[in-house]
Amino acid sequence: MDAALLSQYVVNGLMQGMMYALVAVGFTLFFGVLNVIQFSHGDVLMVGSFVGYSAIMGVIAVGIDNPYIALAAALIAAVTLVGLLGAVIARLFVLPLRSSPPLNTLLITLMLGTVLRESVRLFFPHGSHPKRFPPLLPTDSIAIGGFDLRVDSVMLLIAGLLVIVAIHLVINRTRLGLAIRAVAQDEETAMTMGINFRFVVLVTFVIGSAVAAFAGIMNGLYYNEINFNSGLLLGVIGFAAAIVGGLGSIYGAILGGFLFAALQTVGAVAMPFDSAYKDVFAFTVVIALMAWRPTGLIAERVSERV
Amino acid sequence: MDNVSQASAARRPDSPQVITSLVMGLVGGALLTGFAAWFLKAESEYVVGFLLLLAVVGAVAASRLGALDRIGVAFGAYEKSLYAIVIAGVLVLAWIFRQDHFTLLMITTVMVYMLAGLGLNVQFGYLGLINLSGASFIGVGAYTSAVLTMHSAIPPLLILLIGGVLSALVGCLLILPVLRTRGHYAAVVTIAFAILFESFLKVNDILGGPQGLPVGAMSLFGWSFNNPITFGGFQASFYMNYLLLTLAVLALAFALVRRVERSWIGLSMDAVRLDETAAACYGIGIRRWKVLGFTLGNFLIGVAGAIYGMMLGFIAPANFGFSDSLILVSIVLLGGIGNPWGLALASAIVVILPEKLQMIQEYRFLLFASLVVLVLLFRPDGLLPRGMRNYLPGRKVAP
Amino acid sequence: MSESDTLLSCTDVTRYFGGLLALDHLDLDVHRGEVLGLLGPNGSGKTTFFNVLTGIYAFSEGRAVLAGRDVTRDTAQAVYKAGVARTFQRSRLCLSLSLFDNIMVGNHNRLSLGMTFNLLRRRAFARELEANFAAARDLVEVFSPALADRMNEPVANFPMLDRRRIEICRALISRPKLLLLDEPSAGMTHEETHQLMDDILAVRAHTPELAIVIIEHETSVIERITDRCAVLNFGKKICEGSYAEVIENEEVREAYLGAA
Ligand SMILES: Nc1ncnc2c1ncn2[C@@H]1O[C@H](COP(=O)(O)OP(=O)(O)O)[C@@H](O)[C@H]1O
Ligand SMILES: [Mg+2]
Repeated sequence: MDAALLSQYVVNGLMQGMMYALVAVGFTLFFGVLNVIQFSHGDVLMVGSFVGYSAIMGVIAVGIDNPYIALAAALIAAVTLVGLLGAVIARLFVLPLRSSPPLNTLLITLMLGTVLRESVRLFFPHGSHPKRFPPLLPTDSIAIGGFDLRVDSVMLLIAGLLVIVAIHLVINRTRLGLAIRAVAQDEETAMTMGINFRFVVLVTFVIGSAVAAFAGIMNGLYYNEINFNSGLLLGVIGFAAAIVGGLGSIYGAILGGFLFAALQTVGAVAMPFDSAYKDVFAFTVVIALMAWRPTGLIAERVSERV
Repeated sequence: MDNVSQASAARRPDSPQVITSLVMGLVGGALLTGFAAWFLKAESEYVVGFLLLLAVVGAVAASRLGALDRIGVAFGAYEKSLYAIVIAGVLVLAWIFRQDHFTLLMITTVMVYMLAGLGLNVQFGYLGLINLSGASFIGVGAYTSAVLTMHSAIPPLLILLIGGVLSALVGCLLILPVLRTRGHYAAVVTIAFAILFESFLKVNDILGGPQGLPVGAMSLFGWSFNNPITFGGFQASFYMNYLLLTLAVLALAFALVRRVERSWIGLSMDAVRLDETAAACYGIGIRRWKVLGFTLGNFLIGVAGAIYGMMLGFIAPANFGFSDSLILVSIVLLGGIGNPWGLALASAIVVILPEKLQMIQEYRFLLFASLVVLVLLFRPDGLLPRGMRNYLPGRKVAP
Repeated sequence: MSESDTLLSCTDVTRYFGGLLALDHLDLDVHRGEVLGLLGPNGSGKTTFFNVLTGIYAFSEGRAVLAGRDVTRDTAQAVYKAGVARTFQRSRLCLSLSLFDNIMVGNHNRLSLGMTFNLLRRRAFARELEANFAAARDLVEVFSPALADRMNEPVANFPMLDRRRIEICRALISRPKLLLLDEPSAGMTHEETHQLMDDILAVRAHTPELAIVIIEHETSVIERITDRCAVLNFGKKICEGSYAEVIENEEVREAYLGAA
């Protein structure tokens, strides 16, 4: 295989890993504060890309043709609206089920994902067709050594990295992050220390969902296409990545995300079977990993208290 | 054995109250059959809407007036007779619609979903093992029947069994991760399998790829199920064959699952679901019951898939995707986790409603998903919640 | 006491949770037929001792021998089979199951679990069911005749006192050699606590061979029902002896005052 093709696989793998990681971080944040799986997370991402798309169309319709204004509009709209959506989901569907078995939350959000997906398909204008996401970033490429690196890919990767750094800083350097970590560690003690539990949960859902919205726009910009059912697979992969990383550790989630992308790339490139089997290969490895390390690569912190 | 002490007088099989309950059970069965016939016959959406309204009002009224409880009591005391009533009801429906391909197909599909639902019910309802790849196991059964009917001389009835066994064996590939994980972790294993299976079916070359495969017909003792049945001058659709077969298989599976529940096996499974740690401290072998229940469940789902494949005559990967698995789980949740009768109600709603109300056909996934969300929020035990375990219904002597 | 009187013998039992030393080289013997009170401030490792002994958590170090058999590496199931039954600090009944079902959960080892027996030989099953029903009823009657008439009600219907009783019945139905009670009076009124202790004394009278280890905070209860006490602090045994000896002990007083 020549270097150019290889570099393309690497960039593509990194990009996918970044998106998976951003989704997985959301799963991990939610699991941290509430011990639940918010399974509609992938569809929340998809809603984010549609909100962004609508904002861009709106900006174009108004007659502004500066791509950066359109991009800013898309980001602001998607991040705020989808952040709000996350809070609504937490408030109406997740918090009320706190006292029922945790699997019920998984199920209700699974169904909620279907509701979001079907709503976009049915009620978004021509929602069942893929939408062309306008390329807003410069599409020229820089030649490094023997291969071409597209500028937009580099920009997207850097942006993703910045988001991850930002999450890291919020969690580790702010009072809010301290509250989130406190709740994740021990909810009851956190409450007796005067932390407003519901508020922390809602804010966590806002953050996680906003990050998903960002990933949704990234997805649109990279593939130049968005689709009502793209969220399901991204959600499943993000969930698998979070689990493989060992729910509850943000760094595990990021690791899991890149690991999954690596598996897909290896499945597509380096395995002796047809590249169409890349997902089969990746999910087989996930199942094998679960058999080997039932609580993920970075194991969950404590054993169940009896 | 008595369920609740206050009801114990009413529960003695020959007490007048139970007799009236039995009569009510009979009348209820007849009414229900009549209703179902009318509903299946209805062409206009207005009639369907009216009937739905009638059903809701009737159900609410019956439960307010205590009729449902009485029928439940009668079920406890005269279970066998009431099973007979239900089977008779299905046969009456089959007779009414004997020449209507589409309606027979619909009724049979409801029963196939119930059969698969019974399998999920053992896994999820009794053991607490959530299986989000139900449609994949249906797929294993269906593809088994496709390959074996077209490329072997194995008698098709045996193929049903093989479909179930293969599905159980494929489940064994998942058993290790399923046993070693709990809750969310186990859920991700089955989700991963569902996606893996769907994409495998799509990309492989041997099993027909995205186009799928034709499936041969069922045949019994030389009688091919593609032939229309004729009896006494009447001719019935060939789907009647499948309806009768599915009814027989379903009745067997239903009895099996009921007996599982009403035995120490069911008790052990419940204990595993409700509190694994406590169960282990009382000597209950968690793995043993999980392996048994998961395998039994997948077996039933696989048999359902084999029948389904033969009945449809053609199968494709699109029938066995993750969203179909979600529909199966919805059926279990909607009907009432752990209650096999709930499956009947929920399968009927999920299969028949969209066919009858063409205007909701397009919206059906949205509708069912919303319905399940509402059920989980406001009625987590489902439409027909599971009752207390009654080990030996209808016994004369209560211990 | 002589060797043959020793039912359970624990030596050097140690358990770490990460860096936390929850049990610190604990030596403890339990004799046949005695009631041993296990005392100590909150977080001193009492529950952890039960959890390690019953196989929920592994031993980090040390060993336990029950009636001559090493149970150190046994699973929870095997420990139960060897004759150790327990209750939990936070009641862990199956709330949606009936009283009878809950007690049968405890009788798992003595039920016939084969497929053919359960699914096909329904007459034999009915006989076994009836025998077990009678046994469970008799046991419950020792605690409360009123409860014995409500065998088929879901446990969720019962108040805390009855739930504790049911939990103890569940532990006793299989006739264990050793019963571990983890704060059986938690969450109950003074009055209820004393009723429950009467029950436990009644059980004792019924089964003189049964040894009981009870974790309890209420001093009047300890004084009334225990033969001997052991006190833990930070996972270490700091004192052992009769109740009167133990409360006189300087270190014990300090541990409790220090914790309070
Ligand atoms: N599963 C666990 N993981 C981590 N620490 C634990 C666990 N179980 C108990 N501990 C710790 O071990 C110590 C002893 O706890 P425990 O045995 O419950 O005390 P007691 O029952 O005497 O109140 C406590 O500091 C507790 O926090
Ligand atoms: Mg304790």
